[in-house]
Amino acid sequence: MTEARARTKNSDKNRQLEGRKKQGDFICSLCDVSAPYDYLGTTPPYAKSIVLLEKAYVMKDPFAQGKEGHLVLGATCCLCDRCVCLGQDCSLFYTKRFCLPCVLQNIQEFPAEIREEVAKKKPLEKPR
Amino acid sequence: MSDQRHHRHRPEEMHHEKKKSKESKSSRASDQRSSKHHRHEHRHSGLDQSGGYDEMTSRRIQEASCSRDVHQRDRKKESSDEGHGNKHGRSDRRREEEAEKYRHKHRKMERVGDRDKETYRGKDVHVRDMAREDVRPRDKHGRMEGMREQEEEEEEWDRQEMWEFNWEEYRSTLNKIFFRDEDFIVRGTPEYDDFWKFFHRYCKFQMKKSGDQRPARPHHSSPQQKTLGLPDKYDKRYRINFSIKTKDVEEKLKYLRTGSRTNDDEDLTPSRVAEFRLAWLHYIDFCQKQKLQKLAKLRHDQASLPIHQYRDQIVQAVRQHRVVVVAGDTGCGKSTQVPQYLMSAGFTCIACTQPRRIACISLAKRVGYETLNEYGSEVAYQVRFEGSKTDATRILFLTEGLLLRQVTTDPTLSQYSIIVLDEVHERHLNGDFLLGVLRALLRAQEDLKMVLMSATINIKLFAGYFNGAPVIQVPGRLYPIQLEYLPIKQEEQTSKSERLDPRPYLRVMQRIDHKYPGTERGDLLIFLSGMSEITAVVEAGRLYAQQTKRWIVLPLHSTLSIEEQDKVFDIAPEGVRKCIVSTNIAETSITIDGVRFICDSGKVKEMSYDPGAKMQRLQEFWISRASAEQRKGRAGRTGPGVCFRMYDESEYDNFQEYATPEIQRVPLDSTLLQMISMGLRNPRKFPFIEPPAMSSIENSVAFLKEQGALTEEETLTPIGRMLARLPVDVVIGKMLIMGTVFHVIDPVLSIAAALSVQSPFHQSARTNPDAMHARKPLESDHGDPFTLLNAFDEWIQVKAGGRNSSRKWCRRRGLEEQRFYEMVKLKEQFKDLLKDHGLLEGEQDYYYREEERRRRHGERRRLQELKRRHDKGPRKRKVLKLEHEDIELSGGDDDDDDEVDIKDIEFKLKHDLNQLQETSNQTRSFTLRDVLLLKVVLCSGLYPLVAIADDCNTYRRDSEQVFHTKSKQFVVLHPTGVFCSNPEPLQLPHTEGKQGVAQLKGQVSSKHQLLAYTSLLETNKPYLVNTMRIPAVQTLMLYAHCLDTNQDCTRIVSDYWLELTFPESEAAQLLLSSVIQLRVTWAKLLGLRLQESSRRKKDDDDEDDTSRKARKLEKVLARKLTEFLSSDVEYSIRRLGNSEIKNLFVGPLEVGSTANKPVPTLFSGECRPHPTKGGVQINDYLTYNCLQDDGMSVHSFMAHLRNSWTCPTCQVDMAVTLLERLQHQDQCQNKQDVSVDESRQLSGPSSLERLRKPWFCTTCQQEFSFTNTEILKHRRTHAQPAATGEGPTT
Repeated sequence: MTEARARTKNSDKNRQLEGRKKQGDFICSLCDVSAPYDYLGTTPPYAKSIVLLEKAYVMKDPFAQGKEGHLVLGATCCLCDRCVCLGQDCSLFYTKRFCLPCVLQNIQEFPAEIREEVAKKKPLEKPR
Repeated sequence: MSDQRHHRHRPEEMHHEKKKSKESKSSRASDQRSSKHHRHEHRHSGLDQSGGYDEMTSRRIQEASCSRDVHQRDRKKESSDEGHGNKHGRSDRRREEEAEKYRHKHRKMERVGDRDKETYRGKDVHVRDMAREDVRPRDKHGRMEGMREQEEEEEEWDRQEMWEFNWEEYRSTLNKIFFRDEDFIVRGTPEYDDFWKFFHRYCKFQMKKSGDQRPARPHHSSPQQKTLGLPDKYDKRYRINFSIKTKDVEEKLKYLRTGSRTNDDEDLTPSRVAEFRLAWLHYIDFCQKQKLQKLAKLRHDQASLPIHQYRDQIVQAVRQHRVVVVAGDTGCGKSTQVPQYLMSAGFTCIACTQPRRIACISLAKRVGYETLNEYGSEVAYQVRFEGSKTDATRILFLTEGLLLRQVTTDPTLSQYSIIVLDEVHERHLNGDFLLGVLRALLRAQEDLKMVLMSATINIKLFAGYFNGAPVIQVPGRLYPIQLEYLPIKQEEQTSKSERLDPRPYLRVMQRIDHKYPGTERGDLLIFLSGMSEITAVVEAGRLYAQQTKRWIVLPLHSTLSIEEQDKVFDIAPEGVRKCIVSTNIAETSITIDGVRFICDSGKVKEMSYDPGAKMQRLQEFWISRASAEQRKGRAGRTGPGVCFRMYDESEYDNFQEYATPEIQRVPLDSTLLQMISMGLRNPRKFPFIEPPAMSSIENSVAFLKEQGALTEEETLTPIGRMLARLPVDVVIGKMLIMGTVFHVIDPVLSIAAALSVQSPFHQSARTNPDAMHARKPLESDHGDPFTLLNAFDEWIQVKAGGRNSSRKWCRRRGLEEQRFYEMVKLKEQFKDLLKDHGLLEGEQDYYYREEERRRRHGERRRLQELKRRHDKGPRKRKVLKLEHEDIELSGGDDDDDDEVDIKDIEFKLKHDLNQLQETSNQTRSFTLRDVLLLKVVLCSGLYPLVAIADDCNTYRRDSEQVFHTKSKQFVVLHPTGVFCSNPEPLQLPHTEGKQGVAQLKGQVSSKHQLLAYTSLLETNKPYLVNTMRIPAVQTLMLYAHCLDTNQDCTRIVSDYWLELTFPESEAAQLLLSSVIQLRVTWAKLLGLRLQESSRRKKDDDDEDDTSRKARKLEKVLARKLTEFLSSDVEYSIRRLGNSEIKNLFVGPLEVGSTANKPVPTLFSGECRPHPTKGGVQINDYLTYNCLQDDGMSVHSFMAHLRNSWTCPTCQVDMAVTLLERLQHQDQCQNKQDVSVDESRQLSGPSSLERLRKPWFCTTCQQEFSFTNTEILKHRRTHAQPAATGEGPTT
């Protein structure tokens, strides 16, 4: 996606958000965590001073009072386009979002730090 | 948008960042450091791989900067932060701790259901980790030493300095940069505080860190092929998916450097600001991860509930059927999940009823949380005092009683699309009633649906009641429970009056001690029937606990203070078990986790109602099999359990299957009143799921008629309509209505509220002399209602005084402060209701002066802040101390006084204390006359609940005072009442009586007193509860439903049981005539008021007219009433014996016996002989001359002497007999008001014309058009010769 397109898309989203909330349900394709998201994009409306580095599903922080506060639920994997949550057993972010299965498939491309980390994780929970 | 571009290019930029330079100052600094940076990176990468990632989100330093120089600095810092986490031992320990914490939390959560522990937990863990870093340097000390060698001295110094830097000094500057109102974290919020806590830990940690370095590690060499375009070098920053927009920060920084604050400039260097910024990012990232985890856990917990598998089945069934029964045992999750399922299935207006208020609030919170709507109002509650409902509400939790009230105003309940009735198996009165109402509603309202939720008890009954509604049965989450029957030995069984023998229960404790090692946790819950049983076992248990040091014994019953109750949720120390000794409150209402052993006495004390004696009875019964199972189940909530039953299996088999539903054991007055106000005309035909006894319905109908709430045709009277809308007893409701009539509403509201909630006086304080002494000034010698009023007013004063904590004040006196808060709320609610119904005028808005307003505003802000903070952290479970066992009442718990008293804050937010204080000041300046008036008002509700003292009472403290009510003789004062400890005021002053006068029936005095009471309660004895002394003759005359007199009115029998004897006939007659006047005026005024209130609702135009009339009447009434109350007519009073009552009346006229009767046809048809009593019925309560005279009356002939008399109302002079006079007064009073009304609209003569009515004189056989006075005059012309001639009356 080009920069320009991203920008228009975002402002569209922002405008939409004024009108309606609750875009739909975000469901993690790996762990099934679900929650209704209000916003998909990089500049969440509840956190004006924060810019996301990926197009993410965001909801208003359900655990906080007041208008401010966001919660990033998840994003799509840059390789397989699956929706994954930010949970450490489902995805990781390394310049881009990767779902864990994709990480495992391409594990050799990741730096040793991540390889070790993933290796440690595997016995704990086997990704489906 | 420039920020965004930066992000997109970030990886590339970073490789080139050294080439570019922007601001000379900052880039110079950063360049210097960047050379060091790489070394750091090498050193730390190894550590990083040791697994910091998944364990310690908090430590993971993330950086996602967009502006380059700041970014660069970040990077450098970051290297120092990496991978400081995970030493393995520690992480294991932490995991354990977390698990333990989770278990606690989970238990607690199930209890309250709503507390947001998660937030707390997240922070707690994190803060503790950091803390541990401080206290246990040795964990990594060794390593630290070794590594230090490789350190470059100067670099370390840099870092150390960076973190030793006193950030606090610059807090205000930092605030200006990072925590402005538009920023992500705003100053003054809990998050802000939290951040600073985080930051301090972070700094300390970084300081340690700067010394804790690792050897460089060969850098990860890149693999053969690269398709993903990942950067070569690993950098933590690549792991972060967000960045902060820093443009503002930079500007701010620039401003600061050029600006006036040169001092700051020196120390708060850009690099420090950057460090700070980095910490800020860490914090946000950490919070995000925590929250997502919390969300995931929430979903996981939901999915693991037993009911989750039935989700689709339930939704499907609800779609297809109008009524569905969901039966599931405790812990299956039905109460929290079913409403959510329905909501996500698309239902929008979901009402969920609960039998208990507290459950509504906690469920709404919990479900709100689970649906991620904690702070919205999609899920709301509404209970008697408060609610959180808005237009956005989709799920509303409300009490059964409230939904019933809504039916009265919205007969089709059109505001709901589906109604979920929870806990229907508990069979509360309102629940049963609601079932019937809704069943009828289903027919009327086509698109209404219902879900009944119950335990797996008696499901067929419910399904059958709704024509075979489908049942979905969900298994509970229960662990296996081992069952043992341990019947109590014959010699240890106790009779009713004896104290319970605690030995069998001690043996259970011993048994547990022997059989189960102390290391295995698990508490004991003992079910007993009542308070005295609990006290017996608690005392013995504590002795045993002192010896063994293995138990903490805690009582649990509803009269305990909230703090005492809360103790059962606290944790026992290692190796010690809690032994909770409880009533059946722990069976359903209170759930305590961690209980492994149950000891069930099999007994319960239940309130039953004896309509004959109008008495409530607290009796002990065997429980039902259903409750025995429920009790047993309490052992298996968190693990396998054991249940000891203190009865034989054969006894169990003989238990009745289900408990008696409430509807079959309580008075139905309020229910019937509500039923009729809903338009259900015949309560006898109401299709109850299990109907109550017909006699119970009849009794209530009769009571309601007696109270003036129902007409003879069983329709609502205006008072009845009003009463039906007040959510209180009929008795209390009447007080309120009368209070508005006499403008003494504030104290009446207070007393009514106080009588409607549990007593604030703790019973257990009775053994505490200090508390009792401190209470003394609150006690009123007028009676308990006045003591309650005093206590309440005094509490308000303490609150308003503000110097002393009201909590402490209450504790010193053994008072439960919670009750006062409830009273305030209830009072407010009564006031609103009365205002709504036009019975009370709205108060004028109070205008504050400017400074006052400002002060109040500031105060409110402060309070709101306190409240917000408090809301964050729920009550912590404390660890109980082994010695800490006595019930402490005064001063013992002072240690928690510095805690925020949230109730106090809420209270102050809601109410204006100054105004409250003003009203309470008014109460304090009460005169005796005011007190008398107040008593009269209270009696309007309480009558006929009055008792007369026994002649043999000594009125000494050490002896018991005996009283008699109409239906129950020999009742005593309840030990909690003021008169029990101080009976003197009840005694008749000796000097008063004229001993000389011939006296057959008791002492003559003008000061006889009766006791009014709110209820008659039988436990081991029948007791009068909440007594108040009242002047006897005045009360009886004003409220008796029947007053019967003899010929000269020297004897008056009130309501067939109390006889008043007046030595002077004249005084008695005067008294009687003022009573007639008073009662008429009173009724008239009340009618006007009620009429006024209903009219006020329709339109406001006509208002003035009626209210002017009412005000006039009011004045008249107030004057007359004062006169009446202060009348000092002398009399004696006694209770009639049974045989006397039988032969009380002369009976209907017999042929030939007319000689000693007044000729009844003498006057108009309005006066007729009483059909059964004989004599003449003057009006609905007064019957003249119907008493069988005992031949003693020397005055009897006087009744027929004509005296010259001027009617004070119509000013007509006449010579009349007593009877005639009474009759005239009754009529004249009635007419007079009419004429006053009409004469204002019409001119004189025509108004007189209006009053004329056709009248046929039976004596002269002529038709006249006469006013009543004219009729009277006319009759006299006939009567005169008759009286002298035949002399039938002599």
